[in-house]
Amino acid sequence: MENVFQSRSKAKPTVYHLRDVIRDRASEGVTFRLRVPALQITQGEKIALIGESGCGKSTLLDMLAFIAQPSQIAAFRFRPEREDDAIDVALMWKKRQMNKLGDLRKRHIGYVMQTGGLLPYLTVRDNMSLSRSVLGLPENDTVQSLARELGIARHLDKLPETLSVGERQRVAIGRALAHEPSIVIADEPTASVDPFAAEKIMSLFIGLAEERNITVVVASHAWRHIKRLGLRRLAHHTHRSNDGRTTETVVNG
Amino acid sequence: MRLFKTLRLASRDYAHEWQMSGCFVLALAAVLGPMLVLFGLKFGIVGGMLQQLVENPETREVRPVSSGHFETDWFERMRGRSDIAFLVPRTRSIAATIELNSEKSGHIVRAELIPSGYGDPLLPAGGRVPESMNEVVLSQLAAEKLQVAAGDRIDGSVTRHYAGKKERTHVELSVAEVAPVAAFAREGAFADVRLVEAVEDFRDGREVPELGWQGSTNPDERSYPGFRLYARSIYDVAALKDDLTGQGIEVRTKAGDIELVMRMDRNLSVIYWAIAIIGLLGFSLSLGASLWANVDRKRKELSVLRLVGFRTGDIVWFPVTQALYTGLLGWALAIAIYFAAAFAINNMLADQLATGQQVCILLPQHYALALAMTVGAAVVAAALAGWRSARIEPSDGLREI
Repeated sequence: MENVFQSRSKAKPTVYHLRDVIRDRASEGVTFRLRVPALQITQGEKIALIGESGCGKSTLLDMLAFIAQPSQIAAFRFRPEREDDAIDVALMWKKRQMNKLGDLRKRHIGYVMQTGGLLPYLTVRDNMSLSRSVLGLPENDTVQSLARELGIARHLDKLPETLSVGERQRVAIGRALAHEPSIVIADEPTASVDPFAAEKIMSLFIGLAEERNITVVVASHAWRHIKRLGLRRLAHHTHRSNDGRTTETVVNG
Repeated sequence: MRLFKTLRLASRDYAHEWQMSGCFVLALAAVLGPMLVLFGLKFGIVGGMLQQLVENPETREVRPVSSGHFETDWFERMRGRSDIAFLVPRTRSIAATIELNSEKSGHIVRAELIPSGYGDPLLPAGGRVPESMNEVVLSQLAAEKLQVAAGDRIDGSVTRHYAGKKERTHVELSVAEVAPVAAFAREGAFADVRLVEAVEDFRDGREVPELGWQGSTNPDERSYPGFRLYARSIYDVAALKDDLTGQGIEVRTKAGDIELVMRMDRNLSVIYWAIAIIGLLGFSLSLGASLWANVDRKRKELSVLRLVGFRTGDIVWFPVTQALYTGLLGWALAIAIYFAAAFAINNMLADQLATGQQVCILLPQHYALALAMTVGAAVVAAALAGWRSARIEPSDGLREI
């Protein structure tokens, strides 16, 4: 509750407000539960979610991107822009308004997948333009200049399969930024890249987000270099029940 | 606009994966092509036999087995029926002959007189028919023996024993037409019913005032021993036969032949449809399964599309578009296979067939039907698979790899 008051006292608006949000997932007789008693993310904040794989980082990111439905919600509000009213995401899920949630994601959120998630049949340029084209945004030099900043300008007309893994991740970052979203969610964007390249890509990504005053939520298992980039680490604990049947991760912040 | 984007993406994916797409198209054509050939054969063979039956007027003929007594009333009544195309009375066959002579030919030709008139199925449609007592249509053989052609004049004569002496009377005839060989194979003359009646009357010793032939006066009521009857179509023959039998008239028809071909058509149709339905079921299942598997394979990519904001409805169009391509291309390839096979089969059997006759043939509507069924099955399968993949949580699809 402390956090709620803190964020309200600040000038910056709260983009995400979650209270007692739970998602249960059963797999091979073991129940995984992710519990978020309280989470506030304010505009422009850079959040890091650090932990070993399988602890529920991705689940939290998916809920924040509206692509995974929480099992229980006390409150889940989303306010992408300062001038917007807070949107009741809990109600949208309850009404199964998948297309409305999709529209919110399309307009305000960029998502970087762990494995890039590029469409193999589109060129780098078309992959990056995809997020713009679904919004009906005009074709301008946004993609071109983003590609230049990401160091992939010479690959624009190639297919993803001809690129290295690191280059593909840069394209994925480019796609997540091309439609000028206010929030970018990245799920271990550098996990499949060597540590040196990973550090480079991550700082490039955070730098671009910083320039554009974008709210960032990134999951990673390497805290060391994330820390240097000045991200706020989200605290979480994982408990395993004595019989090993349930695993619960609690995220607060 | 969004739909257009989905179509464009689906097309690019389809082209990008041309090897996979090609396999789907081949698999489809491999089932559909032989099915088309099979149907083409069934349609061509049975269709050809039915055509022969329909074209041959003998098939439609209903002949009385023995002679009877048919009054004018009976003919009037029967002519009113819609299932009868042609009906004329026959006189006694022993009396229905005439001796013909021409200036060019030295000898007399004894010809059978065939009562005829408008719509005689044995004479070519649109050709001349005997219209008066002084006109005949000669059979090919009779015309050859008399060395005459249409427009020539010939002499007809009939003899009788009357009042103890032999008499011969003459009538001048003009040849209206020479009938094709198929119409009548022997020496024959198609004549107006009145001429045939006149010849019989003369032989019976009665007068024929129209031709100036002497004899006793005619009785009021005339009765005929037989008739020439043709059904409207081959399908009317069986019913007509039953009806005449019901009237106590024993008749002979080709109903057996017709029934045979029609039964063959029915049996072949049953066999064909059994194979076609099994084939179509198997085809739909295999097409459905492969399209379903394809959608499953693409779940991650479809989830990516949902992640960037494509709606559920748009996502369904993605596999549907690709299924449409597969359906169209597979159909086109199947048609090509069919054409090649039909060409080979028809060529192989060409010397055993009448010119223009084909063993393997399909009509445009058959191609259209094949297209509709293929595209229908493909789209339903893809739409179901697409709908299913659009309904799962996008996060599930994304985490699969």
